[in-house]
Amino acid sequence: MFRYIAQRLAQAAVIVAIVAAITFALIHLAPGDPFSATMENPNVSEAVRQTLRAQYGFDRPLPEQFVKYVNALAHGELGWSFSHERSVREVLATALPNTLLLMVVALVGSFALGIVIALVQVGRRGSATDHALSGVSLLFISMPDFWLALLTLLTFAYWLPLFPVGGAYDVMSEYWGFGHRVLDRLWHLALPALTLTALASAAVARYQRAALLDVLPADYIRTARLKGLTERQILRRHALRNALLPIITMIGLSFPALLTGTFFVEKIFSWPGMGYAVVTAIGTRDYQLVMGGVIIGSIMVTFGSLLADLLYALADPRLRR
Amino acid sequence: MPWQTQDFAGNSAPMRLRESPLGLAVRRVLRKRSSRVAFFVLGVILLVGLLAPLIAPYDPAAQPDIVFGKSLPPSFAHPFGTDLYSRDVLSRVIYGARLSLMIGVLATIVSLTFGVAYGAVAGYAGGALDTVMMRVLDAFLSIPRLLLLIGVLVAWPDFSIGALVLFLGLTGWFGLSRIVRGQVLALKHAEFVTAAQALGASRRRILWRHLLPNLVSPIVVAATLGVAHVIVLEAGLSYIGIGVPPPLASWGNIIQEGADQVATLWWMSLFPGLFMVLTVMTLNILAEALSEAHARR
Amino acid sequence: MTAPLLSIRDLRTWFYTEAGVARAVDGVSFDIGAGETLGLVGESGSGKSVTALSILRLIQPPGRIESGSVIEFDGRDIVTLGDDEIRDIRGNRISMIFQEPMSALNPVFTVGDQVAEVARVHASVSRREAWDRAVEMLALTGIPDAESRAKQYPHQLSGGMRQRVLIAMALMMKPALVIADEPTTALDVTIQAQILDLLVDLQKKIGTSILMITHDLGVIAETASRVIVMYAGEVVEQAEVDSLFAKPHHPYTEGLMHSMPHIGHDQERLNVIPGTVPAPTEWPSGCRFRERCPYSWDRCQTEHPPLYQIGEDHVSRCHLAIEPDRRNHPHPPVVVEAGVAAA
Repeated sequence: MFRYIAQRLAQAAVIVAIVAAITFALIHLAPGDPFSATMENPNVSEAVRQTLRAQYGFDRPLPEQFVKYVNALAHGELGWSFSHERSVREVLATALPNTLLLMVVALVGSFALGIVIALVQVGRRGSATDHALSGVSLLFISMPDFWLALLTLLTFAYWLPLFPVGGAYDVMSEYWGFGHRVLDRLWHLALPALTLTALASAAVARYQRAALLDVLPADYIRTARLKGLTERQILRRHALRNALLPIITMIGLSFPALLTGTFFVEKIFSWPGMGYAVVTAIGTRDYQLVMGGVIIGSIMVTFGSLLADLLYALADPRLRR
Repeated sequence: MPWQTQDFAGNSAPMRLRESPLGLAVRRVLRKRSSRVAFFVLGVILLVGLLAPLIAPYDPAAQPDIVFGKSLPPSFAHPFGTDLYSRDVLSRVIYGARLSLMIGVLATIVSLTFGVAYGAVAGYAGGALDTVMMRVLDAFLSIPRLLLLIGVLVAWPDFSIGALVLFLGLTGWFGLSRIVRGQVLALKHAEFVTAAQALGASRRRILWRHLLPNLVSPIVVAATLGVAHVIVLEAGLSYIGIGVPPPLASWGNIIQEGADQVATLWWMSLFPGLFMVLTVMTLNILAEALSEAHARR
Repeated sequence: MTAPLLSIRDLRTWFYTEAGVARAVDGVSFDIGAGETLGLVGESGSGKSVTALSILRLIQPPGRIESGSVIEFDGRDIVTLGDDEIRDIRGNRISMIFQEPMSALNPVFTVGDQVAEVARVHASVSRREAWDRAVEMLALTGIPDAESRAKQYPHQLSGGMRQRVLIAMALMMKPALVIADEPTTALDVTIQAQILDLLVDLQKKIGTSILMITHDLGVIAETASRVIVMYAGEVVEQAEVDSLFAKPHHPYTEGLMHSMPHIGHDQERLNVIPGTVPAPTEWPSGCRFRERCPYSWDRCQTEHPPLYQIGEDHVSRCHLAIEPDRRNHPHPPVVVEAGVAAA
């Protein structure tokens, strides 16, 4: 078991290293000097320029630059964001918790909802409900994330002004009591989280339904029936427990899509997370911030998938030994 | 159930010779009503794109009356309304179909080529090279496709549609190459390869002859899904400003232009999106039916 | 003659498939008495497993128990019972052990949990009580160190032990009838004997009846008191074990007996019954065995034989009962004459 963890950690480290190499290649293969925007910007102080020069070693031979680059990364240095006038690390560090909040809520919500939908569908296999839910799932996975977000914003913040139009909290909330502030936060979280959850649960529902149907013909299901369990008990206790295993794998595989969706949703709802920062940085051509976002995003995904693998190993008794 | 798995062969359907697995799969797909409908709808959309210059009621780039003709809600004259520059949105959506589909198909062709090549090389070479190639693949898979594209496209401020297609294609081959590699590996060790070798055929020739038929179905499924993903991705990129450059019309572009005033210019967000959803849905239905048919053979 | 425990009358289970209607069980009747072991013999395709599944109403679409079939148990007809009532019987009054111990247990729950589950479903006992009862039962089936084995997962147990677990599961509620469908076929020969002994032993201890379904006559000889031979969805012979082995009547039974290799006998080739079981979508006219039968004559093609009484407690579905000297004129079976390759 511990050997497995160590193995996976080592693999993750290798992958992060390759990701660093890829981003380095991207930076230097691009036409023009991506650092020039920062370096030639009059608003950037000399001190910052010195630091950057030392960290990344411009005008040094490429291999040396690469070493400096990896070194900088290892120390958590991601460059300077001129549009925010702060280090990239600072900008992302403030933004990251918001993104994580959104992602975690969406992850938990979508798996809960997706599993429930799948159970309903399999319990009433072939019925009108089953077909309807399949159709709805198909519809949602075919929707571009940003389009659904726009429509949700349109419907629930403008036409039916039930929710705020954007942001993570009300500007006045500093003056409010704790309870009121929490409610305010939740109110702002609602629409972006719901959008993400809706999109993700469609995928989970489809996958889980297929996994359940895969498990149902198994011999041990017949044994359960022989014991006199109701179909519902069989579905929920025996089938689901086995069908959850592939879902855990799916969790790991769904992180890239979830992150991508979060980026768009943040932009549309002005949710102050990493996605919002990166998308805005694209507009201002703040390249360092963009690259920083790419790197952090990739690391998040790598570790997310690592976590999913570990969870799987814990959940399957056959692997625990 | 014991009886359900028993083979009743020999008592009913006559044997049909010369049925290629793809032909059988397609026939099975078309037997489902949902697939037939999807095929039809997709065909209509493709036709719309192809015949855009003939179908579009207005010139998508024409700005006839920028003072009084802009930002008009849907009407009889302009079923999808007009945009900020008084251009007819319906015409732009039609031309958008053409551009988005074209980008989707071309990018997917790039992805397929690269994916098959990479996977075949890795599988055939085996050993250390295979391991290295797979690790690199894992790394690429860890970077969400959107982020990778953002990283690339932000660095190149002025890129052509061709470059966009290329980049989209070069970021979409990872999954397919894994499948191809798996097939090549399985074939390398298959018994009939040794048997055929004993008859004097070269290894490469055998692999080639037997590889393709097994790969056709997964490739077609991957291609269908690939086009769907690229369409959505391109729209997303256009939406954040690094996709199809204006004044060209793509579905994502139109949404982007109306995004700042999403409440007042709702038609610019709604209609292109609807077309996208329709296209992607049909592609998904067909891909699913095809992979089911392949799995049941 | 006391009332039988289970009485099956004219059971017909048909499967509605694309290839036609497969009449897997086509008019089967027999009784099982309390405390007896009834053997059910036949090759694959004879309908014996489907019969067993029909008793517990486990037939799923496209299969269906046809109306007119009666399965009487505890004074009620199983065929027409409601869902709740049939679930009350399963695992509780009638239970089943079947062939694949490897896959019959859920891999993600402990063995003890799965056995205890039977008690939790049918009796209102606490988790602790159910667990204790499960461990008791596991020990009864001869699993050493049952307390700690119960906490293990199926993949940690050997095939023989898994089968013991399934037996424990089947006997938890001390059912009136246990249906054992090929319980030893998937096991090593040495383990087979142990499991059979266990079943016989437990039967004596608990007093349940056993319906022993198998294709292996050796198993029948060891465990059953009465035997039913099935072929092509029908009962073709029924007798006490000794009578059957001493004087088999139906040519199919004869063929089965002869195909058993004997230790000590020098044999160059295994005896097989030529041909294969016909497809259940198209049973042959008249006697269903006639194409493989060495004695058949024209009557066999035109008249479907009923179950003739040929002795006390011995019936046989064969026209030889009324024309016995046809047995002296054997001929190569039709199926070999027609040039179809033997199985």
